[in-house]
Amino acid sequence: MDIVSGQWVKCMAKRNTAQSPLTPAVLHVLLALSTGERHGYGIMKQVEADSQGKVKMGPGTLYGSIARMTEAGLVRESDRRADPEMDDERRIYYQLTGAGRTALAAELKRYRGVLAVAEGRLAHDH
Amino acid sequence: MTTNMAGRRYRTWYAMLLRLYPRPFRERFGEGMAQTFHDLYEERKGARRGLCGFALWIFCETLVGIVKENTTHMPQLGKTMVRVALGALAVLMVPLVASQFVEGWNWPAGAFVGVYVLFFGTGMVFALVARRMDAWSYKAGVGVALVAGFALGWSNMVHVADSGNSANLMYYSVLGVGAVGACLARLKARGLALTLFAMAAALALIAVTLPSGAPPYLARNMAIGHGVYTALFAASGLLFRHASLSESTQTPE
Repeated sequence: MDIVSGQWVKCMAKRNTAQSPLTPAVLHVLLALSTGERHGYGIMKQVEADSQGKVKMGPGTLYGSIARMTEAGLVRESDRRADPEMDDERRIYYQLTGAGRTALAAELKRYRGVLAVAEGRLAHDH
Repeated sequence: MTTNMAGRRYRTWYAMLLRLYPRPFRERFGEGMAQTFHDLYEERKGARRGLCGFALWIFCETLVGIVKENTTHMPQLGKTMVRVALGALAVLMVPLVASQFVEGWNWPAGAFVGVYVLFFGTGMVFALVARRMDAWSYKAGVGVALVAGFALGWSNMVHVADSGNSANLMYYSVLGVGAVGACLARLKARGLALTLFAMAAALALIAVTLPSGAPPYLARNMAIGHGVYTALFAASGLLFRHASLSESTQTPE
């Protein structure tokens, strides 16, 4: 399904291979899905918990990000469906792909690098 | 009971809003989004927190997503048109809201449509002309010229309607000079600089020669108005001149 232009997908793929920074929304969704499959509302709540309430994502941002991430191969729909007696069976769960895990690991590595530089600089200043 | 009705109403509105997404996106994510909205609503209701602000935030946030998804596939011109249309709508909110509070401001619906078309048209002219050159001074020159031209045309239209003095239609000749000059200059910075200086001169000439027939206290305000418009056209001309000079220094010999 051509939800996102091919150009964007290529750009995203290039970004992943080059290990460029991810957008905050994409990083938060990857992080939320790193501990398991979640549906839209579940992702939102996890993002809120991970950021200690600082990041509140609405459905527009969340599903826009999921659309792009799906096309870029970072996440995919899971086969899991909720128990109709416990939950709404129409819920769609999402999970990380291998590429998504790699992108998350690369981004965290980049963050660690930036942090190391910043800490070194601050220590030098003092 | 009332809360349930409100909830149903919000869900219906949200479902209607989701219809504005491109079809492929809606078919794939619409149900999930509606479900998520329902979950968020229930959470909010359970926490006994205000629903109106929540609904407003979600609707605005989703609206931004709708614009983004719809413009993803559009060619550049389409994107520009959507942006200008939304910008014009935002500017239209000023008279729309003001008309609710200012006594005697009772425009008919057609007037708002007309004003919107004017805002949209001016915005599109800016978007299309300003991108012809990267120089900031060119873009600023276009902006100042359009704002001044729009304000002059608008205030003159109101003045003619109020006073019935058709002699004031002379002011439209300033805009005519601008339109003809811009065509002849083919929107090049140097030609536009001359055009704007000509507009400033034409306006100054009209201000000096045209008898206003206004009482002294109004004549002073009119003189200030003329001065401001003349200065704006001249400033725009200077900006175009700056763009023209920077262009010529960058051009290899």
